[in-house]
Amino acid sequence: LCRGGLAERLCRLQNRERSAISFWRHQCISDGKTPSGTSGVLIVKILEIFEECTIQVAICQQLEQSPVTLSPEDAVVNAEEPILKVLFTRETAAYLKSRPQDVIHIYPPWQKLLLQNADVPVIMNTYFSQKVPLSEHSEAREKTYGLTKMLIRKNIISLAQTFRLDDLDDKLCQEPSDNQVACAPQIHNNSDSKQHPLALSAVNDSLLEMVERQGAVGWREVQVRVVIQRVYCLPAREGYRSHTQGNKPLLSNGGMFCRLCLLVQDAYGMFSEVQLQSLSSTDDMEQYCRRWEGKSCCLAGMKILQRTTRGRALGLFSLIDSLWPPVVPLKVPGQSQDSEMMTTNLPPPSFCYILTVQSGEMRVEVDEEEQISNLYQPPAVHALKEILRIDGCNERCSFWAQVLYQRLQTKHNVPVDQRDILLFVTDSALQNVVHGIPKVVAVSVTASCVLSMGIREALSAGSRLVFFKDALWGNGRIICVERTVLLLQKPLLCLAAGADLSELTGPVRLDELDSTTQANSVCALRGTVVGVNESTAFSWPTCDRCGNGKLELCPQDRELLYCNQCSEVVTTPVLKMQLEVFLSCPSRSQSTVKVKVWHETGVGVLGTYEVHSVLGKEVGLLNCYVHSVTSHPNCVALEEIVLL
Amino acid sequence: MDNSTLPAVAEELLREIKKAFQESSHGTDTFSSRLKFIFGPSAVPALDLVDQRSVTCVRSPSGRTLYQVLGSSGKLYTCYSSCHFCTCPAFGFSVLQKSESLLCKHILAVYLSQAVGACQELAVSEEQLTNILLAEEEEEG
Repeated sequence: LCRGGLAERLCRLQNRERSAISFWRHQCISDGKTPSGTSGVLIVKILEIFEECTIQVAICQQLEQSPVTLSPEDAVVNAEEPILKVLFTRETAAYLKSRPQDVIHIYPPWQKLLLQNADVPVIMNTYFSQKVPLSEHSEAREKTYGLTKMLIRKNIISLAQTFRLDDLDDKLCQEPSDNQVACAPQIHNNSDSKQHPLALSAVNDSLLEMVERQGAVGWREVQVRVVIQRVYCLPAREGYRSHTQGNKPLLSNGGMFCRLCLLVQDAYGMFSEVQLQSLSSTDDMEQYCRRWEGKSCCLAGMKILQRTTRGRALGLFSLIDSLWPPVVPLKVPGQSQDSEMMTTNLPPPSFCYILTVQSGEMRVEVDEEEQISNLYQPPAVHALKEILRIDGCNERCSFWAQVLYQRLQTKHNVPVDQRDILLFVTDSALQNVVHGIPKVVAVSVTASCVLSMGIREALSAGSRLVFFKDALWGNGRIICVERTVLLLQKPLLCLAAGADLSELTGPVRLDELDSTTQANSVCALRGTVVGVNESTAFSWPTCDRCGNGKLELCPQDRELLYCNQCSEVVTTPVLKMQLEVFLSCPSRSQSTVKVKVWHETGVGVLGTYEVHSVLGKEVGLLNCYVHSVTSHPNCVALEEIVLL
Repeated sequence: MDNSTLPAVAEELLREIKKAFQESSHGTDTFSSRLKFIFGPSAVPALDLVDQRSVTCVRSPSGRTLYQVLGSSGKLYTCYSSCHFCTCPAFGFSVLQKSESLLCKHILAVYLSQAVGACQELAVSEEQLTNILLAEEEEEG
């Protein structure tokens, strides 16, 4: 349970009540009589009983005084006596074993509730109730009644209803605005803060204190000073196992919601993820990364979105773990400011608060001019070779790599920018290795990793050195998930131990096709053409200017072809062909190797499309993507690719 | 429904909690024991869900809404806005089958979150809302 939360408070209250109830009942039994004459005691006579869920509802008549002196015949229902609905819990009802005509004493602290549109008041919290025997006659009657089981009517409650919590004059928009985030960025630079009218209290340095003061008087003015360890974007998704907030749809990245987030740490070592406003363009993310990471900032007017734990937010905590232990001693709460504790043996945090901004009150003041804080831990950059050797699982790692080839996942009902991407990357160290380590590594980019437009273009266009910040390594694969950032520019500060940032010299080499090649990888192959699958061959014209493969017929003259990307008629189209050939490859002689190759007039692997001249032809080192590898039949299906 | 008492009591209680919260933002101690009395064992778990900010109101452009509650096991349950229904197994058992409870802890958490202003908001497309509703069917099938 959350410390100081509503649930915890109720638990404590419950425990106190429970012991009070059992003490009271015990006392009644041992005394043999009920305390009488106490003020606040409600005396009721039961008229009718029924059950709703596990609550027993008794329609009762309130009696003015204890009717011990009256005989049952005299205690006639007087129509003018007030009627009450008394509720009993299952436990109390079992204890009382009430029947109609019974008189019950209800001791405080019972509670009365008046319903709207109903005349009959409801009595609750009737834990301290006692049945009063009317006279000797009724005691005898009790005994006979005790033998027959009483049937109590049970009302089945309809589910076709909802509770309306608003009064008619409540403004419905009041609540939602508390939870929405200001769309217009209101991030102040240091210089602006002096003009800000809101009076702020002295700067605090503990996130936990700020969180604990939520709801107390003056909490909006509390400022906390923290260090920004990481800046990234989070997509807002629905139906997934974590909660992020999303509001108005986003624009330039294809309609996916996306918010700028900071992972901050205070002087006591506590982390928090702060979700800021939505970005209008994800290209700004790279800017914020460079300007803000490592700097101190003051947060004010934050609202707690969630308190999450390691078990519920594995991605967030893998990032926190990569920043643990801290590089400087931490402050110790409760002790003087000078005492600090060494952090070598401290366990990593097990919980983290996710904060967001109050509408109109976001105050994130970053001291951009200030120096990088000592608490900041820049991403540790490693060479791909070292990353492949890491033992653990779910470890965050950062590296530079050259992107050779990109493959989009082929789900057609998902928009392009929300599909998973498979990247094949390398660096000069991997290229120069002879044995044992692959030359090319596959990096999966899931849809939850937010990519800027600049990165997307770079990945499709040319082979560029891309910086992968805080990717995840586990189970022999590198994946880019939430909180991973891909950058084109070198971060200003990073620990580049062992990283080789030199450009690749010479053409890129892929691993050759062999018995260990797996599906969804890239490789190079060579072999001899032993067969052609003519049924798969087809050709189509392409534009000689832009390469557009989807030419249309000219509306004016249906003999001519038209390219709508160039907006011109194509007079000399280039004929592209595709067909499947079977190769015999010495490096994997046991398998049938089936390659889809491309062919252009005069260009291409086959040189010509005459079947007879193709058979027996030697195919030199061809770069391919492996579609599938099957063992029965022993077959490898590949597709010729062009590296970026 | 005309002769049932409990729903009206529950509704009034939740209304009072909301009013108290609007005024002082921590006035629930008075209502805690009443909550416990009416809702029994669901009260503490529901309040815990509120503390964890586990309730999200999902809204589509046409105005359709539903609630998603992140349960303590990490599973996401869907509660309808227009009637009392939840996809959790406790609802199926305690409320539908045995009529032992008025609400499950998730539906109660939805109401309490509304009352104390701890509901999160999520705007989705029509298609996405439909997928959430249909996804529940597939799981049970």
